[in-house]
Amino acid sequence: MKDVLNKTEDIVKKAKALGADEVIARTTFGRYRQARFSNNQVDITVAWNDYVTDVTLAWKKRVVATQMRNFREVDANIKKLLELAKVSKENPMFGGFAKGNFRYPRSRADEKLRDLENPTDYVFEAIGAAEKEAGSKIESGGILLTKFEDVYVVSSEGPVGVDSRSAIELSIRAFSQREASGHGVECSSTLRDFKPARAGMKAGEIAKLAKNPEAGDEGVYDVVFDPLIFGSLLSVWGSMVSAFNVMVQLSVFVDKLGQKVAPEIVTLKDNPAAYSMANRVFDDEGVPTRENVFIDRGVLKTYLHNASTAKMFKTETTGNAGLVVPNPWSVEMNLGDMDKEELFQELKRGLYLTNTWYTRFQNYAKGDFSTIPRDGIFLVEKGETKQSLKDIRISDNALSLLGNIAGASKERQHVHWWGEVDPPCLSPYVLVRNVHITKSK
Amino acid sequence: MEEDIVDFALEYARSKKIEYAEIRAQSQVQDRLMLRNGILEAYVSAVDSGFCVRVMADGGIGFASTNKWTREEAKEIVDLAFKYAKAANRKEKLVFAEEKGVETKWTVDQKEKMDNISPEEKISALVEIDKALASCGVNIAATMSQCSIDLTSKYFVNSEGSRISSFLPKIGAYIFITVTEQGKTEQASEQFGYSGGWEAFDEWNINEKMVHDAKVLRDVITKGKAVKPGVMDLICGHEVTGIAAHESCGHPMEADRILGREMSQAGRSFIFKGGPFWIGARIGSGVVTIVDDPTIEHSYGYYAYDDEGVKAKPRYLYKNGMINEFLHNRETAARLGVRSNASSRSINYDREAIVRMANTFVVPGDMTEDELVEDVKNGVYMKSFTEWNIDDKRFNQRYVGREAYLIENGELKHPVARPVIETTTLKFWTAVDAVSKKVEFDAATCGKGDPAQGVPVYTGGPCIRLRGVYIK
Repeated sequence: MKDVLNKTEDIVKKAKALGADEVIARTTFGRYRQARFSNNQVDITVAWNDYVTDVTLAWKKRVVATQMRNFREVDANIKKLLELAKVSKENPMFGGFAKGNFRYPRSRADEKLRDLENPTDYVFEAIGAAEKEAGSKIESGGILLTKFEDVYVVSSEGPVGVDSRSAIELSIRAFSQREASGHGVECSSTLRDFKPARAGMKAGEIAKLAKNPEAGDEGVYDVVFDPLIFGSLLSVWGSMVSAFNVMVQLSVFVDKLGQKVAPEIVTLKDNPAAYSMANRVFDDEGVPTRENVFIDRGVLKTYLHNASTAKMFKTETTGNAGLVVPNPWSVEMNLGDMDKEELFQELKRGLYLTNTWYTRFQNYAKGDFSTIPRDGIFLVEKGETKQSLKDIRISDNALSLLGNIAGASKERQHVHWWGEVDPPCLSPYVLVRNVHITKSK
Repeated sequence: MEEDIVDFALEYARSKKIEYAEIRAQSQVQDRLMLRNGILEAYVSAVDSGFCVRVMADGGIGFASTNKWTREEAKEIVDLAFKYAKAANRKEKLVFAEEKGVETKWTVDQKEKMDNISPEEKISALVEIDKALASCGVNIAATMSQCSIDLTSKYFVNSEGSRISSFLPKIGAYIFITVTEQGKTEQASEQFGYSGGWEAFDEWNINEKMVHDAKVLRDVITKGKAVKPGVMDLICGHEVTGIAAHESCGHPMEADRILGREMSQAGRSFIFKGGPFWIGARIGSGVVTIVDDPTIEHSYGYYAYDDEGVKAKPRYLYKNGMINEFLHNRETAARLGVRSNASSRSINYDREAIVRMANTFVVPGDMTEDELVEDVKNGVYMKSFTEWNIDDKRFNQRYVGREAYLIENGELKHPVARPVIETTTLKFWTAVDAVSKKVEFDAATCGKGDPAQGVPVYTGGPCIRLRGVYIK
């Protein structure tokens, strides 16, 4: 470990000696294991070993970056990178990399995930749980992914840190009929808290309820969102508070700092805590990560920053530096005060939606978008599930949905799947009023 | 790339009790530039290089990759892949469709070699786009411009005797703009892509195209009127034709999806054995033929051999309105009793190759664009789109117009603000009654796989005319 840190530090020293103004080097040793399954069988099991050092340097406000896959040709690579910087173009808005000497909490990564070589048993546990819920004729597919990364960051501006990051996730979709499916996910930073059967049970339970769906109707509905689908929305809002996305208008939150954007019951934060799949103790500039409440009781409080965007916005970095632009790590919505059942009781004639995919915007600044619910769409009347539905689309506005949140459950789930809920989120069940639903004609 | 390590890995894999093994090595020289509002945020220049092994044993498949070029690492990943293949413990054993070993080399020429283009020139080309936008008389609130250059060398060997070396240079660009007028905003993005050299950048005419887009957005804000919802005719420009071909023909015709292998993420297909749609079933009118062709020279989705070493060829997906031929790799082809049609692609050495499109387009007809318009009494001409999506069985889709005009009595009238067609695959392609003769292509990045693998593709086609569809 010390050896890798020293080699990473050497890169920074060499770059400085060659004339770089500021340098950050980050070495990551990643071990990733994945099993992909469909029709109740494992299709392929995959292992990736990835060794990479990302180097970002600034010379007279010119920012350039490279990746090195070994420590053998450091001198040549650094020289080449500096040459690139010298012919590159100045970024007058570049405010420098984060400065300071920081202490970081000890990583709580799970060493068991470093050593886990064959994760397929968990797949069969999840498939078994889905079958138990919905019968042996159910067809399940999905992925199981484990991640263990050792990360070493050294900055010429002070930060030096070592972190280990672990995660395990299972995503299972179960079909009880051709057009009746349920999706469950189980996400954790530790093996101890990882319960694959929980995801299988949920997928099976929804798949069973979803049988014999009928085409849904257009209209305006009150909707209870399952944590999985609401995670898709949380990840959208989380991305939209990245200061970079605000600056390029890929956000509905432009010029809305200090304004009320949601009801008082809504508090959203970015929090790469130890329990999150996106756990980390420092960002890509070596700044300690922290909990950042960006919507506090309905009011937009901050964007997410690296050191440079923070300077532009005359504030401090929030510890969200990616290699070039700031990113959310793990988005959370605060707990509500309602039981899950109470939320459903609020639906006189509404919908319960469990998952979605293919969220696309007409206009990010305005917020108009649509997304396609899947895996269990239910018509609910007076709190009772009346009919499984299919073939509908949410065609609405990102700000309106945020503004129409009317309740949240006391329970939350850690969710992540594919690109649809990314970054990972911690979401309750959420009631949203007046959601616009359309369909094919 | 160290080919001796690749050969060693294959020999080591062969020493085990395997049905099949392949090693795919890839080295990619990458340049990435990103500008925000005309300012260079960062210039990233890197080389990514590594190799993977895929092994079939006991009817299961294991895959492992590394970017550490040592024999010890090669042994380790072969051992892992072999162990994983055995551990799959499949009831239904996998096999691959038959292919003969191939020894060949292929490459794509660059008229203007990327190596001869200085970083300053690349930066300047992007800066010029912003300058053109800044002086076009439209209020541009924000821009983001990106350029990517990938020089990819591959070396593929398998246990059946294949040995294929290739070099594929690619260049891509992505521009996103926001126009503000009268306190309202509209946004547009354009993607460009090419297999070849820097000559593409001039041929794209990005400045002209983005200025056109900016003016279109301004006109949508200042002159655009909402369409009165109802049944009418629709003419789709090549962008809309192309995305529809990609989403509602290309994707549902991927055999891995049809067989359920993508059931959890990308989903299944409305096409399935025993269902109403299978090979030979009608899905559109007789004028609809959609092809996926990786062999179009210098196309963004070009390749001569796929990532399983199978020679590329055109695939006739929908032919004269009938479902005709699925996209296959060797695994799906074996399951459906046919040969692979070379649709196996991977974005990098650390990703499994899966069934993918290349360049998907509607085959041209014999009419001019004007002739299509002349025969419309009441309709919309949707030249380009903003929001789009489709469900995971690839049947319910939606396209929202960006540049669109009302057609009245055969003449184009005022801009239409964000007209929407939300319909099914069957209704969309069945409604097509005429196809123009000029095909144009657009670059896109097609998403699929977990972890996501965005592969470069073209979408395209001529203008097509749909009769009596619901527009809102």
